[in-house]
Amino acid sequence: MTCQRCSREASVHLSETVDGQRRELHLCGPCARKAGLTPPDPPPNAALEAIVDHLIVQHVGELVGELAKTSCPLCGLKFMDFRTGGRLGCPNDYEAFATGLLPLLRTAHGASRHVGKIPRKRTPPSRSPRLRLRARLREAIAREDYELAATIRDQLRQEDADQ
Amino acid sequence: MNLDALTRTSGEWLRGTGPESDIVICSRIRLARNLADFPFTNRASDTEKTEIERICRATMDKAGLELDYQSVVNLDTLDRQLLVERQLISRELSTGEGPRGVAIGPRENVSVMVNEEDHLRIQVMNSGFSLADVWEQINILDDQIEEYLHYAFNPQLGYLTACPTNVGTGIRVGVMLHLPALANTKQIEKVFRALHKLNLAVRGLYGEGTQADGDFYQISNQQTLGKSERELIRNLSEVVPQIINYERQARQEWIGQRRQHLHDQVSRAYGVLKTAHTISSSETMHLLSSVRMGVNLGLIDDLEIRTVNELFIHTQPAHLQKIQGEPLEVDERNIARAGYIRRRLASDNQAAEERD
Ligand SMILES: [Zn+2]
Ligand SMILES: [Zn+2]
Repeated sequence: MTCQRCSREASVHLSETVDGQRRELHLCGPCARKAGLTPPDPPPNAALEAIVDHLIVQHVGELVGELAKTSCPLCGLKFMDFRTGGRLGCPNDYEAFATGLLPLLRTAHGASRHVGKIPRKRTPPSRSPRLRLRARLREAIAREDYELAATIRDQLRQEDADQ
Repeated sequence: MNLDALTRTSGEWLRGTGPESDIVICSRIRLARNLADFPFTNRASDTEKTEIERICRATMDKAGLELDYQSVVNLDTLDRQLLVERQLISRELSTGEGPRGVAIGPRENVSVMVNEEDHLRIQVMNSGFSLADVWEQINILDDQIEEYLHYAFNPQLGYLTACPTNVGTGIRVGVMLHLPALANTKQIEKVFRALHKLNLAVRGLYGEGTQADGDFYQISNQQTLGKSERELIRNLSEVVPQIINYERQARQEWIGQRRQHLHDQVSRAYGVLKTAHTISSSETMHLLSSVRMGVNLGLIDDLEIRTVNELFIHTQPAHLQKIQGEPLEVDERNIARAGYIRRRLASDNQAAEERD
């Protein structure tokens, strides 16, 4: 887009609503400075995070029935919690919230498939038995079922020893 | 590791050597990794975080990595701040909650944060423009760690991270540049816009904030999914030389058109640093930036670039207080800072004289 006052490339884009009339202004750096408008600071590094935040709001907005109610059985995080906090709760969330996350990843990274390094050992996260056991342990402690908690703890220790 | 000793040494990455080191301070890569069997840090209980910390420390021992582990919980505020100024830990790790820490390599090229936003944040940093070397080192380190634990990984999405902005390779490839001439001529804004179009992020020496103290800019990738580590490194490796060229051109134009003015600015900056009795952090950064460029343009000949690089870090608040051995208020810090700079510059000048 070219500057509205000369033929250089516009770098300042402003829009304002005055008396219900929307007015747009596209100026190059020098013209903006002449008009008393300084070019905006370079966008902060958080550009990608901002896109993600924006997308989370969009997608949750669209998918308020199903997805908003979805929660991860292993860490208890709700997709709505992710919307507010921006952080996932456990590796399984990438599967639990796949419908919500994939479009978001496509927009943020321009891709939805990993290319690159692969670890030599692989554990499909949702099937990680210990992640499940730990989830059950947390539930047991929350219910104050300390007998069950002790059993699960022993099971975890056994798994550790077997590894 | 004795943290007090850090004030008498400096990280390998501040050496001021390596390719393009007049403009590129250092090259850094970090990898975000998580254990498959635990919730991410923000969702883990303190018991789980203790367990994660234990597993990660045991792993680094088993792998024979010669790293020194510091539990952040056991450090006082000043020591935490020192590690942040040193670029060894993030502000997030410093101010976080629960069991967490950092394993640091002897020359400070390597640091592995435990229970930051991700269970593991592996970082390797080298002086100058040397991303290929850094990748080689960190790739091996990552393999050594993976040998003894299960990373959260999924064939479609790669390494799984707490924030979807890091998923896939989990890699952040960054280069720290000193761009005083582009900043001075305001051409830096054009560079920023071009970088943002390429999906690259720009930040200052100490992260957030648009005010880049000392004209330092860190440029890094934002995309982590859908491109391999090597591609992402190549992208940055192609862009950085262009910025280096712009900066060199801007310096040459400056020196060509206004040599006396530039020489004057550099000499005055040097003069103030050599003689001031009280000086703020931001004035120090600003003047050191001129002096650093002056040394690289041959306008100052009795000062090592390494000393200038170190002064940027050693004049930060926590470093000064460690050097003085006591907590200092802002006014006292400004006096201590001026004194420290005078001493360092005097001993560098003396060394230069003896060489001649
Ligand atoms: Zn114009
Ligand atoms: Zn989960």
